[in-house]
Amino acid sequence: MPGFDFSNYNRNAALHARGVPLPKATSTGTTIVGCIFDGGVGIAADTRATSGPIVADKNCEKLHYISPNIWCAGAGTAADTEFTTALISSQLELHSLSTGRKPRVVTCMTMLKQHLFRYQGHIGAYLVVAGVDPTGTHLFTVHAHGSTDKLPYVTMGSGSLAAMSVFESQWQPSLNRDQAVKLCADAIEAGIWNDLGSGSNVDVAIITADKTTLRRNYIKPNERTAKLRSYVFPKGTTAVLNEKIIPKGDLGKFISVEELTEEGGDKMEVDT
Amino acid sequence: MDRLKKGEVNMAVTFKDGVILGADSRTTTGAYIANRVTDKLTQVHDTIWCCRSGSAADTQAVADIVKYQLELFAMMNGKPPTTQTAGAIFQEICYSNKDRLSAGLIIAGWDERHGGQVYSIPLGGSLHKQPYSIGGSGSTYIYGYCDANWREGMEEAEAVSFVKEALKEAIKWDGSSGGVIRMVVLTAKGADRHLYLPDTDYKVRHQ
Amino acid sequence: MTSIGTGYDLANSIFSPDGRNFQVEYAVKAVENGGTSIGIRCKDGVVLAVEKIVTSKLLKPGANKRIATVDRHLGVVYSGMIPDGRHFIDRARDEARSWRDTFKTPISTADLASRMGGYMQAYTLYQSVRPFGITAIVGGFDSTEEAPVDGEVGSGPACGAGGKVAGKTHGGPFLYMIEPSGLYWGYYGAATGKGRQAAKAELEKLDLGGPGGPTLTLEQAVKEAARIIYVAHDDSKDKEFELEMTWISGADGPTKGCIGRERLSVGEKALDEDEDEEEGKEEKMEE
Repeated sequence: MPGFDFSNYNRNAALHARGVPLPKATSTGTTIVGCIFDGGVGIAADTRATSGPIVADKNCEKLHYISPNIWCAGAGTAADTEFTTALISSQLELHSLSTGRKPRVVTCMTMLKQHLFRYQGHIGAYLVVAGVDPTGTHLFTVHAHGSTDKLPYVTMGSGSLAAMSVFESQWQPSLNRDQAVKLCADAIEAGIWNDLGSGSNVDVAIITADKTTLRRNYIKPNERTAKLRSYVFPKGTTAVLNEKIIPKGDLGKFISVEELTEEGGDKMEVDT
Repeated sequence: MDRLKKGEVNMAVTFKDGVILGADSRTTTGAYIANRVTDKLTQVHDTIWCCRSGSAADTQAVADIVKYQLELFAMMNGKPPTTQTAGAIFQEICYSNKDRLSAGLIIAGWDERHGGQVYSIPLGGSLHKQPYSIGGSGSTYIYGYCDANWREGMEEAEAVSFVKEALKEAIKWDGSSGGVIRMVVLTAKGADRHLYLPDTDYKVRHQ
Repeated sequence: MTSIGTGYDLANSIFSPDGRNFQVEYAVKAVENGGTSIGIRCKDGVVLAVEKIVTSKLLKPGANKRIATVDRHLGVVYSGMIPDGRHFIDRARDEARSWRDTFKTPISTADLASRMGGYMQAYTLYQSVRPFGITAIVGGFDSTEEAPVDGEVGSGPACGAGGKVAGKTHGGPFLYMIEPSGLYWGYYGAATGKGRQAAKAELEKLDLGGPGGPTLTLEQAVKEAARIIYVAHDDSKDKEFELEMTWISGADGPTKGCIGRERLSVGEKALDEDEDEEEGKEEKMEE
């Protein structure tokens, strides 16, 4: 039948009427942070991805490449942060190529906010945007609805409260690179330990005018250690209560096999 | 995650030489303060500014569009836009998208022809010219204060003090207002920023 | 006409080797044969007048107006091809309307002149069109008062705003003339059409561009405009004509910011009588 097919809509409406909730997308219940220091900016993230109560990935990457000098940390819906950052990264590179200039962090932030605002929050990407460009060092947050903030230190995601407590108690106006990296890592760790949605390892990216350093698994506080005991059980640990053997020839008693006729359809052609 | 809500108290006041905008700096997501040093006073042209309240995303988007339109106006016509022009553009956007926006704006500007002016655009998208205007949830606490203390033709120092005292009162009584007090003074001389911190009980002007 | 036969006069978008666009020059010829139009910018307003040649005795007097209202504060008169002028006015009204829609405030005379100048210019560029066969005179009075924004609720606060630049005035009467090439200038007095030379000679005798601004009042200018149209009319060659006039002043001027319009036919009355007639009729205004 020509035209649009609304059967899925009817199915969804019927399911909704019976009280079946909408399926949940994989959400990176996350801790992400960023902090400006003298000469650059650092961002960090945990590596846990969750799907409801399940840990979907124990070592995922939440630090996204935008351009060599601009990186993003993403929280919210994993697919949305991944594709949004990839899309803007692509557009920014084309823009950079056509203008012949290095991409700027404000440009990236503006493109992200306009994209997210257009989708009215349906794209669940919560991002920390950081970078160094010819105009200086910049750090922004971009929320899914399209609002942005500019601050010297930022946190986002479900672990943002734990992380912010670290910044609010330890941040100071002048930090060197090592101090900033430590502060960011500590803030992520606060999320890992105190937030259910965050866990596993700490990833860090440090951006300066000269270069960007990505420290994948900068800290691994949840390394899996060897089991103290062996959990291999000997054969016969579970008792066999009864046993029945069906010979191959008797299979016909339990299942029926019919030959398909070729009527009503052409036989598939196969290249020889 | 709740949408970012903002602008819990802000105001704009005409005085002898122009107009002053003032606002607190709190942005909230539910019960969490997402930004305690927000800048809600947004420049849309040289001496035309606005106070944003409501959804952060909506008001930022609207202000960005108006900023672009006013820049275009200035270039195409070879003269700066008036506060009325800004008010008209803001209103058109707020009214025609009223079902989609939660934005409460106060537009204040100085221009050669009209001096300092204040326009208010509340939720439905209507446009009101006022001698002074207050907005945001915290404003309910200072209607009486402003009504009793506002006078026509105040000196700059008097007007700054009036705005500051009003905002201090709103911050004191309203839970969703707080942080620092920011002001912008718009006169023939241009735009002048003020910053007052709670650390010094909002007494000292910083920067 | 050195251009004839060279081929460079056949199309709009082709220059001649010495840098001329003949199509535009031919359009100017069309204007030069049209009835004389003039505009006077005076102390408290603007006057527009046109010599409307009566081409047939079968035409109803006063019909087919040549002066048009574009907005409440703007008028246009033109010499040349009447259908082109009608289209010009349609466009001017659209421009004034769209400005109001966007900025919620009346378009200034200068901005309208700029927009229409740009519009006329575009008709000198393309193969598919020809230049306008008119020269238009745009007169307007930009409000000297603080105008409210269209769509503003209520009338605003009773008290005035602070920080105005003292002694600086805004708005006032303005006059522009736009030629077929799209070229436009602001004028103290403007004349175009068949009798432009005589009209310009008369306009130059008036005190319109002194350092303190014009001293001529609107009342005087209306009489002068009528006189100039008569002076510029060539009795020996032309047929009968109608004098069509309009004038506009500020809110506290003789017309209270509205456009007034009178039409007087020639041959029936002496010039002096016309002047008296006008003074008596100034009360009758058209919005």
